Amino acid sequence: MTKLFARALILVCVALSADARADDLPADAGADGLPGHASAHDLPGGQCLECHLTTEDGVGELWQEDVHARAAIGCDACHGGDATQDDSNLAKRSGSGYRGQLSAREIVSSCGGCHSDVEYMKERKPLFPVDQLEKYWTSEHGKLLVKGETRVAQCVSCHGAHGVREVNDAKSPVYASNVPATCGGCHGDAEYMSDFDIKINQYDEYVQSVHGKALLEKNDVRGAPACNDCHGNHGAAPPSIDAISNICGTCHSYNAELFLGSPLAPAFKEKSLADCVACHGKHLIRHVAEEWEGEKPGATCRKCHEDGEEGSELALYFTDTFGSVRQSFEEIEQLLSEAEVKGMDVTEGEDYVEAARQGLMQARTLMHSFSKPVMEEKITEISANQAAALEEGYAALRALDDRRRGLAISTLLLLLLTLGVALKIRTLPPLD
Amino acid sequence: MSTSPENPDRALLAWVKDRYPIGKFVEWAKHKTVPVGRGAFWYYFGGISLFLFLIQVGTGILLMFYYKGSADTAFESVRFISAKVPFGWLVRSVHAWSANLMILSVFIHMFSVFFMRAYRKPRELTWISGLVLLALLLGFGFSGYLLPWNELAFFATKVGTDIVGVIPLIGEPIMYVLRGGEDVSGSTLPRFFALHVAFFPALLTVFIAAHLFFIQMQGIHEPEAWEAHPEQRKTMPFFPHFFMRELLLWLITLNIVAVLAVFFPAELGIEADPFSSAPAGIKPEWYFLSTFEFLKYMPAHVGPLEGEEFGLLLISLGFLAWCLVPWIDRGRSRRITSIVMLTGVAILVFLTILTYRGFAA
Repeated sequence: MTKLFARALILVCVALSADARADDLPADAGADGLPGHASAHDLPGGQCLECHLTTEDGVGELWQEDVHARAAIGCDACHGGDATQDDSNLAKRSGSGYRGQLSAREIVSSCGGCHSDVEYMKERKPLFPVDQLEKYWTSEHGKLLVKGETRVAQCVSCHGAHGVREVNDAKSPVYASNVPATCGGCHGDAEYMSDFDIKINQYDEYVQSVHGKALLEKNDVRGAPACNDCHGNHGAAPPSIDAISNICGTCHSYNAELFLGSPLAPAFKEKSLADCVACHGKHLIRHVAEEWEGEKPGATCRKCHEDGEEGSELALYFTDTFGSVRQSFEEIEQLLSEAEVKGMDVTEGEDYVEAARQGLMQARTLMHSFSKPVMEEKITEISANQAAALEEGYAALRALDDRRRGLAISTLLLLLLTLGVALKIRTLPPLD
Repeated sequence: MSTSPENPDRALLAWVKDRYPIGKFVEWAKHKTVPVGRGAFWYYFGGISLFLFLIQVGTGILLMFYYKGSADTAFESVRFISAKVPFGWLVRSVHAWSANLMILSVFIHMFSVFFMRAYRKPRELTWISGLVLLALLLGFGFSGYLLPWNELAFFATKVGTDIVGVIPLIGEPIMYVLRGGEDVSGSTLPRFFALHVAFFPALLTVFIAAHLFFIQMQGIHEPEAWEAHPEQRKTMPFFPHFFMRELLLWLITLNIVAVLAVFFPAELGIEADPFSSAPAGIKPEWYFLSTFEFLKYMPAHVGPLEGEEFGLLLISLGFLAWCLVPWIDRGRSRRITSIVMLTGVAILVFLTILTYRGFAA
């Protein structure tokens, strides 16, 4: 009895809590707030669907896949009106709260109405964040919307209107690997962006970057960053210079730590240089190539350091050292491959090469300390592994020579024995 | 003969003679002869097979000093043998090459016996025991192939045991026992190791003894033409004439094995991972290639049977007929003899073509 009363009380409270509010949870809702299975016949939307399920705008088709439809939230939750009326005039009559197609501002308020309501969301999606609206108003999009610019992105620009899907649904426009195209849809459109003082090549650059290739070509949706991983989701904005090393450092934490502890960090701050971006660029981030290092014009370090300066000397040291390490790898691989082709076991040599390669990878990270002693220590370790690998290769070839010499000696001995036996056969009494 | 302490060799001989009737053996050996004729060369392959088997026993024992027969340690132990143990690479390579040459030699021996019709009365059991020895050697090869626990061997064993599982009624239980479970896994390796170093050697010893006993009892088969023309009969003493020639071939064989082991040492590949997908180009050892290819050409279904079941049925019937050759061709009908000989040629050509196709695939 007490339980029944408590349930009734909750229902009354929920019903009275807001005007533009979705329906109550359906009786067959699952743990995630969704019914077991939604079909066109049991879609929420009441009489609205009698017309809109078959209209050419595709709303009906999209609605069948929409997470809100599956959560039994009807059309009136956003559009108002009386969904119980089968006459469209009566459904949209004055006093029914009918709002029709929502403006950009109304969309943000409508979506935000539920998604920022902690109590409401707790009932349906307890783990779902509720700060999207708050963040949105801090984004460039939100700020411009407040100023009256309605062409900016709001909720449906990215999530869609009637076919909203879960973020981890690969068909969702905000699924990790779809985000660049979704953002690029507006930001890469020259005509659309012509009134805004902003570049339009971000998407083109991103797809050629290491991040873009990892996400879009290797489908590394967990590891590779999309636009939102650096700019934020609902609070999307260009990062400030001070925030750069924190943003990149979210993933490249050791690089960021080394850089912030290096003598370059205060110098960059003084010159208002954007830490990582100053050398690696923004959207077109590529693997560090040989031409980056060194003191030649165009090399990264020469952007700031004149010839003969301490920084230039360090750059030269990095160039020479890395060049030498790379050259040694070529020599070692050639040697080990030669020994392996000749049937020798070079597994230990390959283990040393692997250790040296790991060391080189660590050295590339250690570069961010911009310290010669730190680098020298790592290079010594790499060189030791490379020397051991070389020694394994040469030892394998020496062993091969030994084997062949041994074979030659044993062949000679066997030949002598064979000759001895053949001679013995000739001395045997003749056959009858 | 002096038995004085001044001549210890002869004293030892006298001591043995006092206790064991070796004089009879020496007499028998002195009078043992081997036919001399056009096909005499092929007689040596029985001895070469035996010599290669002795190499297998010797190298196998040496490998067991270091080999560790469990899925966690097998690959590393073989790597250790190849890379660290002094002459370990040589022992392993000789073991691998000698195994292959032994099976080749046994096949040559079997077909030479077949085409010389040496299987006929009274040598039926020699023929049967030889076929059992061949089957045991194939079992040796199949079980030994998995022991390095590398990727190629793992998946080849999977395919091989799958084929065993196709046999109606008894196939699946045998496959289960061989694998130590539903699939080839870490449980399979100790079973194959036990088969390779205990079960097959024990059986092989018994059958080699029986095979040699039959040969010594009945002597080596003589050419049929001698029955009609006894004047053509020509023999050589086993000791020392035949034995010295055999020894000559053993030395040449040993040198061939050494050259192959140095220039083409046994590879190890990459360690088996039961959870990885099968790499492309999985093939069994060359002596199973013809069976493998034959089963590949089977249609999906033949009547009520699966294609592979039908293929195995044909192979089994073929092997049974091969075993019964001494009773099919008793030398009483020239027509039957011709058919049997032609069938033998056809089988040889068929196996060669299928093996070649298996290599080329």
